Amino acid sequence: MSIFEYNGSALVAMVGKNCFAIASDRRLGVQLQTIATDFQRISKVHDRLFIGLSGLATDAQTLHQRLMFRHKLYQLREERDMKPETFASLVSALLYEKRFGPYFCQPVIAGLSDDDKPFICTTDSIGAKELAKDFVVAGTAGDSLYGACEAMFKPDMEPEELFETLSQALLASVDRDCLSGWGGHIYIVTPTEVKECTLKGRMD
Amino acid sequence: MKLDTTGLESALPLFGANCQMVDGFTAAPAFDLPTTLDFDGFQKEAIQMVKPAKGTTTLAFIFKEGVMVAADSRASMGGYISSQSVKKIIEINPYMLGTMAGGAADCQFWHRNLGIKVCRLHELANKRRISVTGASKLLANILYSYRGMGLSVGTMIAGWDETGPGLYYVDSEGGRLKGPRFSVGSGSPYAYGVLDSGYRYDMSIEEAAELARRAIYHATFRDGASGGVASVYHVGPNGWKKLSGDDVGELHYKYYPVTPSTVEQEMVEVSGA
Repeated sequence: MSIFEYNGSALVAMVGKNCFAIASDRRLGVQLQTIATDFQRISKVHDRLFIGLSGLATDAQTLHQRLMFRHKLYQLREERDMKPETFASLVSALLYEKRFGPYFCQPVIAGLSDDDKPFICTTDSIGAKELAKDFVVAGTAGDSLYGACEAMFKPDMEPEELFETLSQALLASVDRDCLSGWGGHIYIVTPTEVKECTLKGRMD
Repeated sequence: MKLDTTGLESALPLFGANCQMVDGFTAAPAFDLPTTLDFDGFQKEAIQMVKPAKGTTTLAFIFKEGVMVAADSRASMGGYISSQSVKKIIEINPYMLGTMAGGAADCQFWHRNLGIKVCRLHELANKRRISVTGASKLLANILYSYRGMGLSVGTMIAGWDETGPGLYYVDSEGGRLKGPRFSVGSGSPYAYGVLDSGYRYDMSIEEAAELARRAIYHATFRDGASGGVASVYHVGPNGWKKLSGDDVGELHYKYYPVTPSTVEQEMVEVSGA
């Protein structure tokens, strides 16, 4: 198993009508052994921007701390929150700084940009941005997630339908992966509110 | 490649070409050897190609009422789950069971071979059933002769014969152990924890089944390569009987039900999908 599969993870973000949803699994493992079933993989940058980090957990934590630091500095200097597009460029730059000794993470960035337009993107472990209009996936269950999202996605879904679709896609995909699952965590973000839900999944 | 067989030739009498006493015993049973120049490399490549999945949890224990055998049902290839419904408890004959751990094809073939070629033939030739000791010994000897060729078999032979309940652990390295409690597979440490702490010799069949089911469930919770359905079989004086096959996902919520918390958002039915 490769270093990306050491801890196991599943991350997915999907775009709806003036809203987005980002979901992750809750397992933290050491190869096949499960250590925790309540691991937080998605964190809030600010009220309209979330980032999820898949891959090696230690690198995910370090990268997260560095990104929070840079964002706080930005807030102090600019006296406003970062736009999702800017944040994605920041993530990309930070990752490429370590081109020849990379962080073994794959981030998923999801936010609401100007005019409440949802913005999602993912990068690979050295910072190549992949912008998408519908959904982005990351983690050991990535291949299964691509299939499930492709089959279940519809454009312009309302928040409730988006929640249902994304949860089903996530749970179906992690049920085909030994290294992720054990429940799910999902955030649905609209211009007015942020809803956080825990999903009941198979615990095997 | 020509193998040196001078050490293997038996001391046959040079005269009397029609020596019927040793007929059928001179030729050692073997598969055809591959016609290749690189014999060692070929074997190594063959082993790598059929990379066996060791992810599993199986267990068996002897108690007052017989033998309890249980297993999960997940097959994994590295990180991918290839199946959640694999039968890991193989029915060798109506009073003997074998468990599967390691290479699925290897276990299935050799258990089948044991049941049909060895056990049945023994019954027909000797007019009585083969003992668990005998069956496991014959399997262990067969596996020993293939040692180093990449077979991956970690099995438990459980059965009931004239001496009562019998349980043996047999593996592809040629090892064979007799014991009262075994667990095999990547999830076995977790299963042992539950099994060893809850085991008593004088349990009823229901208690023993629940212990086996719980042990498998706890192994599927912690081990990534175990999951699916927890099957429990019991071997008694009249043969084996499948007691239950519970989906492990549902067992979790049965043992640890979700405590209702304050509902902040209720899901509404979405029309038209």
